[in-house]
Amino acid sequence: MRYIKIYLACLHTAFSRAAAYRLDFVLGNLITLLSNIIFPLATVLIYANGARFSGWTMWEVLLIQSVFSMSNALASMISGSVLWVTMDSIQAGSFETVLLKPLSPLFFIAAANFDTGSIGLFLGGLAMTVISASFTGICGTGGILLFLLMFISGAAVMCGLDLIMAAISFKWVGNSRIPEIFDSIKEFGKYPMGIFPRSVQVLSSLILPVSAVGFFPASALLGRLDIRSLISVLPCMLFLLFGVWIYNRMIKIYEGVGG
Amino acid sequence: MVAIKAENLVKSYTTYKRGSGFKETVKSFFKREKVLINAVDGISFEIEQGTVCGILGPNGAGKSTTIKMLCGALFPTSGNIDVMGYSPARDRMKYVRKIGAVFGQRSQLIWDIPPVDSFAMNKAIYGISDEDYKKRLDEMTELFDVGEVIHKPTRVLSLGERMKCEFIMAMLHSPEIVFLDEPTIGLDVIAKNQIREVVGEMNRKGTTFILTTHDLEDVEQLADNVIIINHGKKVFDDTLTSLRNTLGSKKIVDLTLTKPYNGDEINGAKVIGRDNEFDISLEVDTEKQPVTEFLKSLTDHVSFRDISVKELPMDMIITRIYSE
Repeated sequence: MRYIKIYLACLHTAFSRAAAYRLDFVLGNLITLLSNIIFPLATVLIYANGARFSGWTMWEVLLIQSVFSMSNALASMISGSVLWVTMDSIQAGSFETVLLKPLSPLFFIAAANFDTGSIGLFLGGLAMTVISASFTGICGTGGILLFLLMFISGAAVMCGLDLIMAAISFKWVGNSRIPEIFDSIKEFGKYPMGIFPRSVQVLSSLILPVSAVGFFPASALLGRLDIRSLISVLPCMLFLLFGVWIYNRMIKIYEGVGG
Repeated sequence: MVAIKAENLVKSYTTYKRGSGFKETVKSFFKREKVLINAVDGISFEIEQGTVCGILGPNGAGKSTTIKMLCGALFPTSGNIDVMGYSPARDRMKYVRKIGAVFGQRSQLIWDIPPVDSFAMNKAIYGISDEDYKKRLDEMTELFDVGEVIHKPTRVLSLGERMKCEFIMAMLHSPEIVFLDEPTIGLDVIAKNQIREVVGEMNRKGTTFILTTHDLEDVEQLADNVIIINHGKKVFDDTLTSLRNTLGSKKIVDLTLTKPYNGDEINGAKVIGRDNEFDISLEVDTEKQPVTEFLKSLTDHVSFRDISVKELPMDMIITRIYSE
């Protein structure tokens, strides 16, 4: 209960900050919303020119990509700021102001820096998911429940990635290129898994389970989820737990900067 | 009663030595020399509850590192800290509820929104009741005279206004111990005095303060005890009175002479300052020669238009301790 109250107070602060720069808030969300609508155009163009992802219709692929966007946005809202705030405050030596709060630093950073800019992305993803699903159709209550399970798992992977990257910045200060590597890896989750070689399929479903971000939940919604894919829920949750553990562990090596 | 006890506190960092210039930069890209720095090197001290303790030292002495370890923000490399029965870094979550901190160079306020919104966030974090929050906020805003300021965005506040708000932020949850790391840095005289008055007032009510500063007036006006750190080691730990007597019982006598004087001493007192040929400062060792005797016999040696007798300035004492 205490943490819910704190989260709501921090959320209020985050929205107050966003509201301080109204134009930036509105434009930022509008741009992410638009880019989210434009992004699937590549898929539309591929199909319009006669090419295709084998075994997948255009709307099915769009559904994967929309779910991916939603999951990405949800993770950004929850933990996206943890990466950049941690990185910046370690570099500036201001992380001690976080450690002065009687809270888990992870929780405090995530709550106080809730990424309001991802709201547009989430809404865009949601709109695209609804539109795509209206063309593909969805597979009953069971499908929706499986979708929710895989969707949460996907968001857990994204959050875990953010936390692992943030944890790395305690050791390698100013490692702004590492997020780019992880962003590239995440791209695998945007496409039907079957188009990748077997090794990439294993990697993206069990080792670095980015397939759970877009492909698995969308497949569940379409009733095309291979039941064996459910095993990926485990590495997804482990990913998140590992992210939390490594982040808390790395705080101990925080050194600050000269006073 | 002892509030803070530090034993053999050490904080070491590994850093890399890099040369300057293009050749050295390229070389350091492939091979870097590791350097171990002991920012804090085996410090031990005790601080009594309800006192104000000043931690002094030149830049890079280890003051801020010490205070960060006392706050629980940094883990010591070795040694023990006991603050009110807590090990600060290990018991951080429980411990930081009992303390407040103001870092003069690191803001806890949220830049884009008014301080009152940051205060509200702290209210939720510390679980302060509505009644206590209102009472405390009213009391603090009145003490600092910032009733209107707290409703303006932090980014538009002057440094003095911001520091006052930082204080309020750190004091809202009624901490038992408050750490102040250079709290008056860059402030004007009025703001400094206001902050000192509030610290004095809170201390009279029982709050313990630990203060690092380069402004010796902060120490002279507030501190009961002083710890001096240099090169990571403790070089002094005693009362302010004792610090004043460190260099022996000495007084400064400022004279405006009627005739030019270029000698190195007058009546056994060393000339330690000279604005011009007429205005000179003498250091009188009162253990060897009481001031009254010195003044009586002074007229036998020089004639002067004006005279004043002062305590040895604190900055002179500190400078000599630093250089030892």
